[in-house]
Amino acid sequence: MNLRAIGCNFQTANVELREKLAFTPERQAFAAAELSARFGCETVILSTCNRVELYVGRAQGGTPFDLDLAAEFLGETHGLPGERVRPLLYAHSDATAVAHLCRVAASLDSLIVGEGQIAGQVKQTFESARKQGTTGPLMNALFPHALRTAKRIRTETGIASGHVSVSSVAVDYVRQVFDYFEDKTVLVIGAGKMGKLTLKHLQELKPGRILVTNRSPQKAIELAGYCGGKAVPWEKLDDALVEADIALSTTGAAEPIVSRKRYLELIQPRRTGGTLVVLDIAVPRDFDPAIHDGDRVCVFNIDDLTRVREQTLAQRRKHIAPAEAIVVAEVKAFVDDWQRRKNGPVIQQLRTEVDKVRADVVQPLLMKLDGKLTPAEKEYIEGAFKLFQNKLLHGPIAALQEASREGSSGSLLEAVKKLFRLG
Amino acid sequence: MTVTPLQGITYTCFGLSYILALGFEIARLRWPRAGLRSLGLILGAVGLLTHTAYLALHHPSPAAPYGSLLLLAWVLAVFYFYGTIHHARQAWAVFVLPVVIGLVGLSLLLITGDNANDIQVPPWLFGDTLWGAIHGFLLLFAAVGVSIAFLGSVMYLVQARRLRNKLNPLGGIKILSLERLEAMNRRSVNLAFPLLTAGLVLGGILLKREHDTIENWWSLKVLGTVGLWSVSALLLYMRYAANVAGRRLAILSILAFVLLVAVLATAHPFAEVAK
Repeated sequence: MNLRAIGCNFQTANVELREKLAFTPERQAFAAAELSARFGCETVILSTCNRVELYVGRAQGGTPFDLDLAAEFLGETHGLPGERVRPLLYAHSDATAVAHLCRVAASLDSLIVGEGQIAGQVKQTFESARKQGTTGPLMNALFPHALRTAKRIRTETGIASGHVSVSSVAVDYVRQVFDYFEDKTVLVIGAGKMGKLTLKHLQELKPGRILVTNRSPQKAIELAGYCGGKAVPWEKLDDALVEADIALSTTGAAEPIVSRKRYLELIQPRRTGGTLVVLDIAVPRDFDPAIHDGDRVCVFNIDDLTRVREQTLAQRRKHIAPAEAIVVAEVKAFVDDWQRRKNGPVIQQLRTEVDKVRADVVQPLLMKLDGKLTPAEKEYIEGAFKLFQNKLLHGPIAALQEASREGSSGSLLEAVKKLFRLG
Repeated sequence: MTVTPLQGITYTCFGLSYILALGFEIARLRWPRAGLRSLGLILGAVGLLTHTAYLALHHPSPAAPYGSLLLLAWVLAVFYFYGTIHHARQAWAVFVLPVVIGLVGLSLLLITGDNANDIQVPPWLFGDTLWGAIHGFLLLFAAVGVSIAFLGSVMYLVQARRLRNKLNPLGGIKILSLERLEAMNRRSVNLAFPLLTAGLVLGGILLKREHDTIENWWSLKVLGTVGLWSVSALLLYMRYAANVAGRRLAILSILAFVLLVAVLATAHPFAEVAK
């Protein structure tokens, strides 16, 4: 195997440089074809927001693709000097490169360990390279194996358990309070960017009604139009809170807009529905946390949501060691399998050649003895020659298999080819 | 006389099965393995089957304390089994099975303390007389309603506590949402109250007609049932007229269940009369 994984990621290059080195899907396909043609190798280029990596390989030996060549190529493709790119790059070879791809696909090498997007991106990249014709036997075996490894890790460990985005955690809390959303009212207070993201998650629950309020009526109308809700005047905030089941607050107010006193005197007594869930993701906070009682009103602010996110990440980190153990086992399985595949045709050829030699010896002998032997005796003689052949070949074949397990079968393979005059 | 293997079924068979099923369910909270769930379900099914066979063979009277508790435990065991299959991801059994086991245990305590064969219950309470049977079944189904409201309330309080402490929503014990638990409580009380009222009125008529004595009217069973009815009425009033919800209703539902168990565990006035 002659495999290299060379690239940069969030640990080696800042976002500005990663942006410069990133490939659009069209440029990615073009660059992969160019690299394949220039170096006569199989190529897959993985480009995500956190990494740009070149997977370059040949099923059989050849000139190794190194860091300098990769830096030169990336620099040339993106109009940057090679020497500026070179320090950002890392390189992995053969088994280490296999391990690296498995770790990338399983999101062990991600900014957020266990995130689910990267496996899809690896799959998509490989599919597109395969369609483009820049992959060959090595990449066609390697990428599906890495994706299977990633799937195994996700299934067998808790690396992907829980949610780690603040919006998802907010929705998880909402689901602890409500089951049905068709009859629920979501009230959006303010129009912050984070609020829009959380609103998107809440919209997936298909709430019955969305109300939007903002100090600026224009902004409220805009956001209401964006999410299919109804704008409510800022002065009617208390009325809207009386009707709401879920309140998403994300204003830029310097002080809490709903104090405990205001809630207990003006809102709570008028509420006839169930629990009110307040997702207060504004900083500074919009709702006085003292309102929270975990029964009639649940207030979750950005600190609560971030704390759960951190807990989930800590929980995920506990599964890194078992996941790494799976990577080690899968890399070994891949390398063994690859060596077997590489030796397989030679072993087959060796058997066929020796079969032919045996037939050339046994057939004339049996013809010479024709009429003097019973069918059972003929069968015995044929069996004896077969046994002799198998015993003779056992040594070289076993040695090849042992060497392939140790990852050093190359020279032995050549020796066997020469010794037995295999083409 | 030949004895069939089914006649060998005792409290130990189903009581132990329920306890082991609960053990596996608790273990599943710590180690969420499919095997533990299967073992819990198998043992729960064994418990339910042997419990059913015991009831079918021994016909315990719903009017006798041990009988009514055993019947109620059986209905709740069905409820446990259905819920465990239906809410596979929730810690359903951990809440329902202790109640089933508690009722079976209390029934056992009452059967040993006061030999069941000695309890003389009027024939109409076995169902020989239509109105007596209707009275019994109305109160049994009301008891089921009160018990389910209790279970919903306990789960509600645990879930509310988790929310109050802002615990990780995907970690720890898995419980239904507050909305679902409140609905469970509301429907159960809505169902239990009319059944309890009808059962109580019918019981009163039968008592007046058959055994009208001061002692019978002031018996613990009658007073407890009236208390239970009052708490149920208060629950409905608080929910629908005073617009009270959540934790306070859950606590009141738990009180109703405590009263129910006390009522079921006391002797029926007619049984004393028959003695």
